[in-house]
Amino acid sequence: MERFIKDGNTIVDSKYTWTKRILVLILIILLVRLWDLQIMRGSEMKRLSEQNRIRIKKVVAPRGVIYDRKGRILADTRPSFNIYITHEDIKNFDQTIDGLVSLLNISKEEIMERLEAAKGLPPSFPVKIKSDISMDDVAKIEANRVYLPGVNIQIEPKRFYHYGKMFAHMIGYVSEISDDELKKKEYKDYSPGDYIGKYGLEKAYEAYLRGIDGEKRVEVDSRGREVRTLEQKDPVPGNSIYLNVDLDIQAVIDKALENRRGGCIVVDPKTGGVIALVSRPAFDPNKFASGITKQDWQAIALDKAHPLQNRVIQGRYPPGSTFKIVSALKGLELGMINERTTFSCRGGFPYGGRVFRCWKKGGHGSVSIHRAIVESCDVFFYNLGLRLGVDRIHEMSDIIGLGRVTGIDLPGEKDGLVPSTEWKKKTYGQPWFEGETVSVSIGQGAVWLTPAQLVQLASFVANEGINYKPHIVNRIVSPEGKVLKTFEPVINANVKLKKDTIRLVKEGMKGVVNEGSGTAYGSRLENVSMSGKTGTAQSVGEKGRNLGDHAWFIAYAPSDNPSVAISVLVEYGGHGSSAAAPVAKMVTDRMFNEKKEIKEARLNENR
Amino acid sequence: MRIDKRRLYHLDWYLIINGLMLFGVGIFNLISATSSFYSGSFNFIIKQLVAFLIGIGLILIILHFDYRTIAHQSKWLYLGGLLLVVLVLIIGMAAGGAKRWINIFGINIQPSEFMKPIIIIFLANILYERKKYSMKLGVKDIMRPMAAIFIPALLIIKQPDLGTGIIIVLTGFSILWFVGLKKSTYAMLFAFGTISPFIAWMYLMKPYQKMRILSFINIDADPSGFGYHAKQAMIAVGSGRFFGKGYMEGTQHKLQFIPEHHTDFIFTVIGEEWGFFGSIILFLLFASFIWRCIRVAQNAHDEIGAIIAFGIGTMIFLQFSINVMMAIHLAPVVGIPLPFISYGGSSLLTVLASIGLLLNINMRRYMF
Repeated sequence: MERFIKDGNTIVDSKYTWTKRILVLILIILLVRLWDLQIMRGSEMKRLSEQNRIRIKKVVAPRGVIYDRKGRILADTRPSFNIYITHEDIKNFDQTIDGLVSLLNISKEEIMERLEAAKGLPPSFPVKIKSDISMDDVAKIEANRVYLPGVNIQIEPKRFYHYGKMFAHMIGYVSEISDDELKKKEYKDYSPGDYIGKYGLEKAYEAYLRGIDGEKRVEVDSRGREVRTLEQKDPVPGNSIYLNVDLDIQAVIDKALENRRGGCIVVDPKTGGVIALVSRPAFDPNKFASGITKQDWQAIALDKAHPLQNRVIQGRYPPGSTFKIVSALKGLELGMINERTTFSCRGGFPYGGRVFRCWKKGGHGSVSIHRAIVESCDVFFYNLGLRLGVDRIHEMSDIIGLGRVTGIDLPGEKDGLVPSTEWKKKTYGQPWFEGETVSVSIGQGAVWLTPAQLVQLASFVANEGINYKPHIVNRIVSPEGKVLKTFEPVINANVKLKKDTIRLVKEGMKGVVNEGSGTAYGSRLENVSMSGKTGTAQSVGEKGRNLGDHAWFIAYAPSDNPSVAISVLVEYGGHGSSAAAPVAKMVTDRMFNEKKEIKEARLNENR
Repeated sequence: MRIDKRRLYHLDWYLIINGLMLFGVGIFNLISATSSFYSGSFNFIIKQLVAFLIGIGLILIILHFDYRTIAHQSKWLYLGGLLLVVLVLIIGMAAGGAKRWINIFGINIQPSEFMKPIIIIFLANILYERKKYSMKLGVKDIMRPMAAIFIPALLIIKQPDLGTGIIIVLTGFSILWFVGLKKSTYAMLFAFGTISPFIAWMYLMKPYQKMRILSFINIDADPSGFGYHAKQAMIAVGSGRFFGKGYMEGTQHKLQFIPEHHTDFIFTVIGEEWGFFGSIILFLLFASFIWRCIRVAQNAHDEIGAIIAFGIGTMIFLQFSINVMMAIHLAPVVGIPLPFISYGGSSLLTVLASIGLLLNINMRRYMF
C-alpha cells in the first residue's frame, strides 16, 4: 500500500480505514447484544438472578405439647438436625450424592427415593434426605460442606415422647407424610417431608397439635449456603392438650403388664375421663418421629405379637364371666330373679344333649345371685340366661354400650358383638339355638368385646345406671395459655335401675374381692374397698393350638363411692383372678393409698 | 541518553488521560469485585496499585530509548521472553490445572503476557522494510514471521493458556495483513485457517477446552460446568438492565455464581452493577483508546512505529472485544483479561508498557 501524507502528518492507508470499520462493526455487535440482554430480556435476567440468590425456606412450627392431668409433659419437641438437598444448588449430582452416602449411614437408593417423591416440586425446593442425624454426622457434613454443594442442615423441632413405649398406643406417634396421604384432600395443606400424626391422639388431634409453619426468605451463595435472612415469618406453635390421664397410674399399669400381652383402661366413672390406657406389647414412638428405618418398620409391622394393635380399643375377646353382670342386671331388673332365687349347681348343666360345665367341678350347691357373682357360678347363669333369652341379654348390653364403639377419642376403635336372634338371621340366615344362649350367658360363644367396652360395664354398675363416653383429652390450650376447648362429659347410657338390682349386683361385685370365697379375694386391699368381677375366657388358639385362656378383670373403687373404673385383659394370662385382678389392685392401691402417703410426705416437707 | 524537553511537550496526553480513566474505572470496579473475597479487597487493590507504579517506571524507562533502538534489539527481548515461557513449562506454578506463572523474587509473573508486545516489536523489526517499500508478502516471505508467532504461541497454549495464545496468533496475523499480503498468501492463509482448527481440535486442545467450545455452541450441554458459568455471566450482565443494580450491589458475583469475576469475567461486574448505561461508557472509553492507537500509527514517523502502534491497538481491541463477548455469550470462555480492568499485575504491566511504546512513537514523530 502506498503511504502518503494528507493534512499535515496523517498517513492515509486503506488498512487504517478498514481497521476503524471493523472496530465500529464490533462495537455495534456488542451494543446490540447488550441491548438484547439488558433491555429486551433484562427483567427475565433480573428474575433469574433473584431466583439464584433467594430461597424460601420453611420454618417448621413446633407441635403442641401434651400434658397429663397434673401438668407433666408427656410429649413435646426438641431440636433435631435434618439434612436437606436443594436440587438447583447441586453442581455435580454424583459428587454430592456419593459424598452423602459415604459420610452418612444412608444408601443411594434411599436418597433417590426421597428425590423421586419430590419430583413435581420446583428445583429450588429443599428435599429432606435424613432426619435427626447425630452430632457426629453434623460435624462430618459441616467439615465437607465445600464438596457438598446443595446440601443443607436445618435445625427443626422434632417430636419427643418422654416416656417412650409407655404411652405408645394412647399418644401414638408422628411420622413423615406418605405419598398416598399427600394425594388426599384432607392433607392438601401439607408438603413432602412434613410430619403428621399417624396414630393415637397425635392423629385424632392433628388439627390442634399442628402449628402454622413459618417462612424464611434467605439469600444463598452459589453453593446454597445461607448468607443472610432477608425476611422471616415466625411459625406459630401448635396448641397444647391436657389429658385426663395420670402419669403415675399409667406407669403402674405399664410396669404390671411388662412382658405381657394385653390391655388395661382406667376411667373416672363420673366423667368418662380416661385416667390410663395401656396396651402391650408396645412400640417405641420416638423411632417413628426420627424417621423410622425400613428394618425397624418391618420389625414392628411383621411382629407376630402385633405391637401396633391397640388392644384396649381394637382387641376383641370373649368377655367370659365378666359378662355375667349383664345377665344379672337384666334378670334382676325384669324380676325374673331376686335376692332369694336359687339354682342348684352340681358342677354341670345338661342341655340339648350335652353337659355345660361349671368351672368348679364339685359344684356350688344351692346358689343365690350374691354367691353366683362372688364365686362366679356358671350353672346359675346358664339357668338365668336360658330364661332371659339371648335378645334380652342383647338389649341390656346395648344400653350399656357393649358391642358398639365407645366413642373414645382415639382413631381406629373397633366395635364388638353381642349376638341376637336378629343378628344371626341376618348374618347366617339361620335361627338362633337356645343352646347358644347357654354359652352367651357366661360370655362365651359369639360374644366379642374390647377392654374399653367392658370398662363401660364397670362404670355402669359403679354409677348405678349411668356411664359416659371415655375421653382422654381434657382441654385444648393455645400457646399463649388460653383455653380453646374443654370437653364436657358426654352421657352414653342413663337408665333408671331398680334399687335392689343395683344393690345386689354391687354387693356381689364387692364380695368378689372382699369375701373369702370371692374369686378375686387375693387382690383385696386393706383400707380401700374394691369391687370387681373376674373373667376367664376360653381363647380360640392360634392355628388350633390353645395357648391358654384370656384373663379378665373389671373393677371399680372405692366400692361405696366409686371414683375409678378399671378393665384389665391379659391375653393367655390364665385365670382372671390370678393374672388380671392384681393389676387392678395395683392401680387402686396407687390411687388411694400411695397418693395419701405422698400427700402426707409433702405436708411434712412444708412444715 | 536524555529525553529532550521538547519531546515531553509532544507526549500524547489524550492517550494518557484516556488510559488513566480506564485504569480508574478498573480500580473502582475491582474494589466491588473483590469485596466478597474472604481476604477482602485491600490486598488486591494494593497489589494492583503497586503494579501500576512499576508500570509507570517501566514507561519512563521505555521513553528513554528510541523505539527504533528497542526494535533493533528486539531479537534479545524475543529470546528472553521465549526463555521465560519455556521456564514456565519447566518450573511454572500451577493454578487451577494450568501452569502460567513463575516466581521471581517472591513475585508471580506471567511471561505469556509480556510475550504479546515483544512479538509485536519483533515483527515490526523484521517487516518494516517490506511495508516501507510496499512489497507484499509472498508465501515464502511469511514463513519466518509465522515461525516467530507460532513458536511462542504454541508453547503458551501448551501451558495451557489458550486465551493468550489466541491473542498472539490473531495480533500476529493482523500485523502480516497490515504489512500487506499477496493474493497467493491470502489463499494459503485461508487454507491454513480452515484446516488448523481441526488439527487443533484433534491434537492440541485439552478436553476441558473442547468442553468450553461445545458448551458455547450449546449452553445447556454442560449445565453444571462451563455452560453454567457462561449462563450465570449472561444472567449477571442482563440483570443489570439499563442503569445496573448499583455499585457494590451485584449479587451474581458477590454470591460466587461467577468464577474469576475479578479477572477474566470482570465485565460481568460492570454489566451487573452499572447496566447498559455504564457498559456504553466503558465501550466508548475503549473505542476512543483504540482509535487513538490507530492515530498514533498513522502519524508515526516511520513504518516501525506504525506497525508497533497498529499491533498494540489491535492487541487491545482483540482483548477487549473477546473478553466482553465471552461474558455475554458471543464467544467461548477462554482466559483473556480485560486490559486496564481485570485484576492481574502482569496484564497491567503489559498494557502500561504498551502505552509506553505508543507514547515513545508519538513523541518522536517529528524526528528525522
